[in-house]
Amino acid sequence: MTPPDLARVGRRRAALRRWFGTTPAKVWLSASACVVAVVGLFGSAAFAFDQARSGLHVLKEGAGPQAMATTELYLSLADMDAHMADVLLMGTDHDLGSRREDALKRYDTSRTKANETLVQAALLTEDDEVEKRNVQLVLDGMGAYERLVTRARLLNDEANAPSGRVDQEALEEYRRATRLMHTELLPKAFNLGLDSSAIVRADHEERQSAAGFGLVGVGVTGLMAVTALLALQMYLRVRFRRRMNVPLLGATAGTVLLTAGMALALFCSSGHQREAKEGLDAVMALSRAGAISTDMQADESRYLIDPDRADNYQQVYLERAQQVLFCQANDLATYYEAIEKVAKDQKCPDPDEPDKNSDALGYLGPDAQKVLLSGSEGALAEVLESYAALQSQDRALRAAKEDGDLSEAIDIRMGITDAEDGAFQAYEGTLAELIQQRRDAFDEGNERSDATLSPWTWLLPGGTVLLLALVVSGVRPRLAEYR
Amino acid sequence: MRFRHRRTASAGALVAAVVLGLSSCSVVLGEEESLLDATSLTVGVKGDQPKLGLKNDDGEFEGFDVDVAYYIAEKLGFSKEEVDIVEVTSANREEKLLGEDKDKDKGKDEKVNMVVATYSITPERKTEVTFGGPYYVAKQDVLVRAEDTHIQGVRDLEGLTVCQGEESNSAARITEGLGIDIEQMNAPDYSSCIDALREGNVDAVSTDNLILAGFLAEEPSAFRLVDQPFTDEKYGVGLPHGDVRACEAVNKAISQMYQDGTAQELLDEWFGETGLEAVTGEPAHVPQFEGCG
Repeated sequence: MTPPDLARVGRRRAALRRWFGTTPAKVWLSASACVVAVVGLFGSAAFAFDQARSGLHVLKEGAGPQAMATTELYLSLADMDAHMADVLLMGTDHDLGSRREDALKRYDTSRTKANETLVQAALLTEDDEVEKRNVQLVLDGMGAYERLVTRARLLNDEANAPSGRVDQEALEEYRRATRLMHTELLPKAFNLGLDSSAIVRADHEERQSAAGFGLVGVGVTGLMAVTALLALQMYLRVRFRRRMNVPLLGATAGTVLLTAGMALALFCSSGHQREAKEGLDAVMALSRAGAISTDMQADESRYLIDPDRADNYQQVYLERAQQVLFCQANDLATYYEAIEKVAKDQKCPDPDEPDKNSDALGYLGPDAQKVLLSGSEGALAEVLESYAALQSQDRALRAAKEDGDLSEAIDIRMGITDAEDGAFQAYEGTLAELIQQRRDAFDEGNERSDATLSPWTWLLPGGTVLLLALVVSGVRPRLAEYR
Repeated sequence: MRFRHRRTASAGALVAAVVLGLSSCSVVLGEEESLLDATSLTVGVKGDQPKLGLKNDDGEFEGFDVDVAYYIAEKLGFSKEEVDIVEVTSANREEKLLGEDKDKDKGKDEKVNMVVATYSITPERKTEVTFGGPYYVAKQDVLVRAEDTHIQGVRDLEGLTVCQGEESNSAARITEGLGIDIEQMNAPDYSSCIDALREGNVDAVSTDNLILAGFLAEEPSAFRLVDQPFTDEKYGVGLPHGDVRACEAVNKAISQMYQDGTAQELLDEWFGETGLEAVTGEPAHVPQFEGCG
């Protein structure tokens, strides 16, 4: 640079410094700071609301409903195996004709449902290699399962097997099928359901924490905006010797209100989403209870058709029952009694000290599900009662079988599984009622969160424009004094 | 000056409010503590169960559980060097996991982050421990002397003496669960039961088939496993209660362990020579998980 250049730069700098020292410059700068702070508040609030809305979207329309669908995959598969066991148990007896048709029809419905839920599961897990592979394995396994049961049914029909006396070859095919179902299909289906719950949880927590940070951001930028506005107010007050600048005062009050309102909305919306998530968790836990119960009651048919493995099926029945509702019991007789007590006063008897209580655990255990099912105690009590009724039918069934009265046992079994007024149907009905209550809580949480967030789509831009207008109208008359 | 003074005061109040607001929110926002965020992992395994978790002469642990623990730890992001394997017993598993171990006289913290030690998942335990898995579902079975070929199933134990580890539930499963009348004998641990069986003081030992298979592999000519499994024992990965994130990650790791064939390889490696139908007879399938909630 030549010396004249340097001199020019120096002059320009000096002029700028002089200008910065003038009152209009200070007003300009201070007002610009207010505008930037208000725009910053707008930006951080827009981000926070966006996070809150996407969190709601995940729960309401995304992974939430898909996870519920995946949970049903296990139910549909267990249902298929249950109806097939019933069909074999009934044999080709013509007295049971309509029931047999009914069971076959229900088998087909469950199969269709299983296919549908598999498609849902495939959609949900498409980004996850491990689960994608599980979906594929379940799909392949279903084909193999269907081939086995179709053959079992044909063999049994060809042998004209009477009810309760399954043809040996047919039985062997069914054993392979139910083994495939229980070692390969059901565990993977169950794990898929758990994994989709995990996806929802991770997603939900991520959005909640992003919305939380957004909330802090709104608070901080709101405070900055208020500080900038107050600083401008102070400066004008000192420099222009005026009492108050009303538009700026309005802008300050508006910023406080807007910030507080938005913070409150974000905080409440996050609370409602948490309630919705709890509802969803309860729905999924209860659906799992329903699915495992379905498999459990089917063990009655398996117990009756396969005398060689009756011991084993009886034990498996107890194990599944204890997953659904747990009381300490090593055998079914003790379990039946414990369940009667739970239906009466929500507590298991203590196995060591009969006059004391112990906690009832498992998916339906009042002690294990206190948090998830709070507010639905009445509906839960009804579920427990119908569950106890189901268990008392089971007791009668096994007693008949042990007395050698197979046809009585089959009658009881057909009664339990009756689609109109069976004990299992009644139990499923009370469970569905309880699930509906929790589902309502889920929907309500979502709706409330939506209602809290939706006004801000216009309140936020509207409020911001208003604040900016107030700042401009507050400083314009002062700047005009220097024209 | 007056204004200035007041301004600093209000600025101070502002800063205080922001800081307070931030810190109270970060409590709300802070993700639940998880062992996944730690830089190292202490895993508890058994030290006295051959083929499952056994402390060898060099003081190193080896067995199926140990390999499963390393596999899971690796999938959770811990290299072998970052994993510390320590011994736990059936009696102190919970205490060590909950960090309530009273036996701290050694002067070092004995808390473990994860337990892979033939740890059966039960509804009661689930109230204080979060379980990943099960990584394997063992079955209760019966071990007898090789020459006692007349015992072919659990019902053949009627009237015979059966040994079980103290505080175990296995004899009750036979007497109450199956209604079979047996003479029950309690020993302090299963190694003592095995000694009693060898010496003819008891007729059978009953517990999980994997544990029995481990003892059988040590002395294949002395014993025979009846191989008629009954009841499930779900071996879970014990985690600090409420660590849902870690539990979900463990489940994913176990799914992978079965999908990539590692589970099958490990079962073959440790139990292949026992030729047990129930353990290595067919391809291993991923068990049904318990869920982390």
